[in-house]
Amino acid sequence: MSLLPTTRRGADAPVSMRLGPQPGEVIDRRRTIPFTWNGEDHRAFPGDTIASALAAAGVRVFSRSYKYHRPRGLLTADYLDPGAFFQVGDEPNVRGAHRLVEPGMEVSSQNTWPSLKYDVKAVNQLAGRFLATGFYYKTFIKPEPLWPLYEKVLRRFVHAGAITPDPGEAFYDHRHAHPDVLVAGGGPAGMAAALAAARAGASVMLVEENHQLGGHLRWGDAADLAALGELRAQVAAETGIEVLTDSVVTGRYDDNWVGIAQRNLPGVAERLIKARAGTLVVAPGLIERPYVFAGNDLPGVMLSTAVRRLVNLYAVRPGQRAVVMSANPEGDLAVADLERAGVEVAAVLDARERRGVVRAHGRGGLRAVETNEGRRIEADLLVTATGWTAPTSLLNQSGDRPVYEPTAARFRPDPARMPDNVLAAGEIVGDATVEAIVEHADAVGREAARRAGRGGPAVTIPSLAPRPHPELFTAGTGGFVDLCEDVSAKDITTAVAEGYDSVELVKRYTTVTMGPTQGKLETVNAVALVAAATGKSIAETGTTTWRPVYAPVTLGALAGRPHEPVRHSPMQPWHDRHGATPLVAGQWIRPEHYGDPAAEVRAVRTGVGIIDVTPIGKLDLRGPDVPKLLNLLYVNKWSKLGLGRVRYGVMCAEDGVVMDDGVTGRLGEDHYLMSTTSSGAATVWEWVENWLQTAHPDWQVHVTPVTTAYASINIAGPRSRELLGRLTDVDLSADAFGYMNVRQGSVAGVDDCVLWRIGFTGELSYEIHVPASYGLHVWEQLMARGADLGVTPFGVEAQRILRLEKGHFIVAQDTDGLTQGYTAGIDGLIKLDKDDFVGLPELRWQRERDEHAHLVGVRPLDGSIVPPEASQILDSSGGIAGRITSSRMSPTLGRSIGLAQIDRELAAVGTRVTVRLPDGRDITVEITDAVHVDPEGERQRV
Amino acid sequence: MSDTTPLARGPVAVATPVVRDGWELDARVATGPLTLSDESPLAKVHVRAPFDGASRAALGVGLGRTARGDLGTGDVLVVGSGPGEWLVLGAPGTASALRASIEQRLARTGEFTTVLDLTHGRALLRLTGPTAARVLAGVCAIDFSDAVTPDGAALRTSLAAVVTDVVRDDRSGVPSYLLHVERSSGQYLADALLDAGRGSGLEMTGFRGLG
Repeated sequence: MSLLPTTRRGADAPVSMRLGPQPGEVIDRRRTIPFTWNGEDHRAFPGDTIASALAAAGVRVFSRSYKYHRPRGLLTADYLDPGAFFQVGDEPNVRGAHRLVEPGMEVSSQNTWPSLKYDVKAVNQLAGRFLATGFYYKTFIKPEPLWPLYEKVLRRFVHAGAITPDPGEAFYDHRHAHPDVLVAGGGPAGMAAALAAARAGASVMLVEENHQLGGHLRWGDAADLAALGELRAQVAAETGIEVLTDSVVTGRYDDNWVGIAQRNLPGVAERLIKARAGTLVVAPGLIERPYVFAGNDLPGVMLSTAVRRLVNLYAVRPGQRAVVMSANPEGDLAVADLERAGVEVAAVLDARERRGVVRAHGRGGLRAVETNEGRRIEADLLVTATGWTAPTSLLNQSGDRPVYEPTAARFRPDPARMPDNVLAAGEIVGDATVEAIVEHADAVGREAARRAGRGGPAVTIPSLAPRPHPELFTAGTGGFVDLCEDVSAKDITTAVAEGYDSVELVKRYTTVTMGPTQGKLETVNAVALVAAATGKSIAETGTTTWRPVYAPVTLGALAGRPHEPVRHSPMQPWHDRHGATPLVAGQWIRPEHYGDPAAEVRAVRTGVGIIDVTPIGKLDLRGPDVPKLLNLLYVNKWSKLGLGRVRYGVMCAEDGVVMDDGVTGRLGEDHYLMSTTSSGAATVWEWVENWLQTAHPDWQVHVTPVTTAYASINIAGPRSRELLGRLTDVDLSADAFGYMNVRQGSVAGVDDCVLWRIGFTGELSYEIHVPASYGLHVWEQLMARGADLGVTPFGVEAQRILRLEKGHFIVAQDTDGLTQGYTAGIDGLIKLDKDDFVGLPELRWQRERDEHAHLVGVRPLDGSIVPPEASQILDSSGGIAGRITSSRMSPTLGRSIGLAQIDRELAAVGTRVTVRLPDGRDITVEITDAVHVDPEGERQRV
Repeated sequence: MSDTTPLARGPVAVATPVVRDGWELDARVATGPLTLSDESPLAKVHVRAPFDGASRAALGVGLGRTARGDLGTGDVLVVGSGPGEWLVLGAPGTASALRASIEQRLARTGEFTTVLDLTHGRALLRLTGPTAARVLAGVCAIDFSDAVTPDGAALRTSLAAVVTDVVRDDRSGVPSYLLHVERSSGQYLADALLDAGRGSGLEMTGFRGLG
C-alpha cells in the first residue's frame, strides 16, 4: 500500500494545497481572480504567480520537455523555472513561475498534443537512445536537398508557443536614464548599497527582477522579515532612489551603458531602459544549483529555495511526503518550512555527511527516492540543497573573469580585474549574516557614489568570504543537466568522448546552457561533468562565456516606439480636407493627386493649376563670396548673375556624377536664394557647408536652410498670370517680369513673399514662396480668387507627367549613381573653360572619351503601351543597351511617352529599339528628342 | 490685390481656435501640471556671426547658454544655439523690428554677420512640468538632470529622431524646455511628445508666450 496520500479526490478533483496565512506571504486573500488553465476554470489570489496558483490547486505537471516531452513540474518556482513556460493568450513562452495571474488570463501548456497529460510526442522518450548528442547534425545533414523537407517536419516539434500577428493595444517603449549609481539586484545587499549611495548624494536606480524588493529575506524567518521591513521602509523614504521591480539588467556594455528590461508598466508590453550609469553595483545574490541524478526532472523534485518560496511567499504546500537532501543551512531551513507546512518529512539526507539521493522513481511524478545507502523511500517531494551558483554575467561583461573556489564549490568575482566603475556587493562576493551583508553593501554603496563623482575619501570595503561548501554536482547515475534543452549527463560525457573536449565546444554540440535559463542553473554542473570526463579540474575547464543579454528581451522592446518622422506643409490640412491621396516622399507627406491626375494635367495645359511644392529645398545664401561658392559647386557660370535674375544649375560630385539640380535667384547685392530637389535638400546643405568649412573657410558666406520657412506654391498654366495678378502687388507683365526672373513682394496681403518666374511644367508659371505661417491663407485665397478661372489643385503625379512632357529630368530617377553630367544631356550647361568646379576633371574626361550613354526621349510605336520604368532596352544582339527611366501616358499627346538612358550608338533620334517588358513581351520604341511638348518653349516664355 | 486679412497659423493642429494678433491660437487650458504648448508665434531671429568675437559680446551669451535681456524691442531670450549661431526669441509681432535692431547692433562690430527672421520657418514647442525631463527621456538620450542640463542650458540633439534645439527655460522654478525644430516637423514632434508623455498626464495647452 502506498504511504502517499493522493493529491486528487476521485479522478479529476484536485486537493487544495493552499496553506493558512504565512508571515511573509505576498498574496492578497481578500479576493480571488479567475483564470483558465488548459480550458479549466481556476482562481488565484492577487499576488499569485500562475505557477503558485496552479500548485495551490494541486497541479503537479506544468509542461512537457523540449525534446523528449517528459512531464515536468516546478523546480525553482521563480523566473528561471524551466518547467513553467506557458502560453498566455496570444503570448508564448511566458515564465509562469514569475508572471502574476491577471483576471481572465487564458493559460495553456505549450507544444503538447492532444493534451498535457497525454502528449503523443512523448514517444520521443522511447526513441531517446537514438536521439543522442548531435542527432540532428548527424541525421539530417544529408542529402542536403532534402533539408527543406526535414525542416518543415522538425518545426512541428519545436518547443515554443504561438505568436499572433496582432500587436494588440500595448506598445513597446524606450527610456533613457543617467543614474549616478545603478544597483542590479534588490536583495538586502542591493537595498543597502542603494541606500548608502543615495545618502552620499548620488542618484540611484535600483533594479530588481522580482515583483518585490528583498531577495531571500522575503521567505526568511521573523528576523529576516523584520530586517526586510526596515530596509524597504528606508528605501521608500529615500527620494534619491528610483526602484524598478519586475525589471532586469540585461547587459553591461562599454562605459557602463546598461540595458534594463522593465516589464510591469501599465499598457506597456515591455520597456527597454538605456541607462548610462556612473557606477554599476552588481548585487544579484546567488542562484541555487540543481543536483544531477537519474530522475532529477520528475515533477516533485524541487530545489530548497523553490520550497521556501512556495510555502512562505504563496502559502502553498509543495507536497505531502518529502525527502530532503541538504548540504547547507538553507536546506535545513527548508526542512523546517516543510514541517511547519504540514508536510511529512520522511527523511533528511545530510550531504555534509556524504548522504544523498542517487535516483528518483516515478512516471508522471515522483513516487520514490533511492539513496546512496540503498534505501528506497516513498515520497512525492524530493528537495535538494546542494550548492549555489554566483550569477557573474554582468561582471564578466565588465571584463572580470571570476575564479573557481573548490572549498566553496562556486565561482567568485576577481576584484583585481573589475573596472573602476563596477563593484560587486553581497552574496556574489561571499557569505555572512544579514547584518554583515548590509555592512559590506553599505561600504560598496558609498564607494560607488564616490566613484560616480559624489566626492569623499575612498571607502574601505570589508572583506566577505564564502563559507565552505561540499562540491556536489552529480550522483553519477545520469539525469538531466539542462532541463530546458533536455541535455543529459550522458550527452555531456558522450560529447567529450567524441572529441568535444572544451566546455565551449560541448556547449555548441549539445546545446547545454543554450536554453531560456541561459546557463544560470546548468553551467557549473556542465563544467563539472566536462572536467570529470576530461580529467581536468573545474578551474582548468573554466566556464562558457557570459554574454549579453542576461535575460530574454522582446524584439519589440529592442525596437521601442517607432520614431519615423514625417513632415507636413502648411497646406496639408487643406489637402486632407479635399481628398488628396497622400504620397510619402522621403519624410514628406505630399498630395499625389486629388482624384484624376490626367484631368489635373489638362487643367494646367489649358487654364491654371496650383501645386504645393513646399518640400523643394531652399538655402538662403548671404555674403560677398556667394558667386565663388556657386561657381565651385555648379557646373555652369554664376559670376554675372544680375539682381532679380534666376539661373538653372546642376551640381556634380567629384566623380562627375549628377547629384542635384535647381534654380538660384539673386535677391540682393550679397543675397541669393538657392533651390534644390526636395529629396536633396539636406544633402545639398551638408555639401555646401562641407565645402565652405573644409575647403574655403576664408570665404564670407553664410548658408541657412529655409526650406520650411516658406510655403511654396507653383501657379502654372496659361491663365496663371491672370490669377496671381489678382493677389500681388508685383508687376507680372512679360516685360517687367520675364522668364527666369525673381521678385519680392506681397501676395494675398502677405509681405516678404518671393516670386519666381520659372517653369518645370513647361507652361507659363510662377513659383511663390510665402512665409510659411501664411501658406494656408495664400493657398485658400488662390483657390477662392481663381474659382472663375477654373483653378485646379494638382498633385505630384500630374507634375511628373507635365515635366515628362516637357523633357525635364529628375535627379535620382532619370539619373543614377553612375550618371555623369554629359549622360544627363546638360552638355550646354557644363562649362569646361571655368578655372575649377567640383567634378571638372571627371567631366572633361567623360567628354574626351565620348562613349557615354545618353538621356533621350522615347515613344512606343504602339502609343497605348506604357513601358514600366526600369524596363530594359535591348540591342540587336539581345544585350542590355539601356533602360526606361520615366514613362507615362501623356494626356496632352494622347499617347505614351518616356525618357530613357541608352547607349550612344542607339541614341540618335529616329532609331528604333526593342524594350523588354517585365512580363516578357518585347515592344518597339522610337528614340525622340527628350522634349515631347512645346520643344521651342513658347508656352512658358509668354 | 487681396482684400483679406492674412491669418498666420502655427505648425500644430489647433483644437479650440481663437485669433489673436493675426495668429490662430489654441484656446485650450490644461488642468494638469505637465503641459505642452505651441509657442511658434514668438518672434524667432537667427544670427550667424564669428563664434567668439565681438558679436558674441553684443548678444550677451555664448554657445550652450541662454540670457534674457532687451535688444531694443522688449524682453527677449537669447540662446547660444550652435557654434557661431544664436536664436533670439521675442514677443509675437516683433520679428521685423528685432531683426533690424540686432543687425544694427552687430553692424558696429565690423564682423561678417547674418540676421534672419525665421519666425515662420521654425516650430517652437514648450514642455513644462515637474516631470518634463522624464518625458524627454522617452525620446532623447541626453541627461536632463539639473546637474548636467540646468536652467539656462541649450543644446542641439535628436528628439524622436528629429534634430531639435533644446533650451531649458524654467517657469517660476518649474522645469520647462523650449523645443525648436523645422516648422514642417512641428506636428510630428508634438505627437511624439504627447505619445511619450501619455503615461505622465501630458496635456496640450494654449499659447503662453515668453514671459
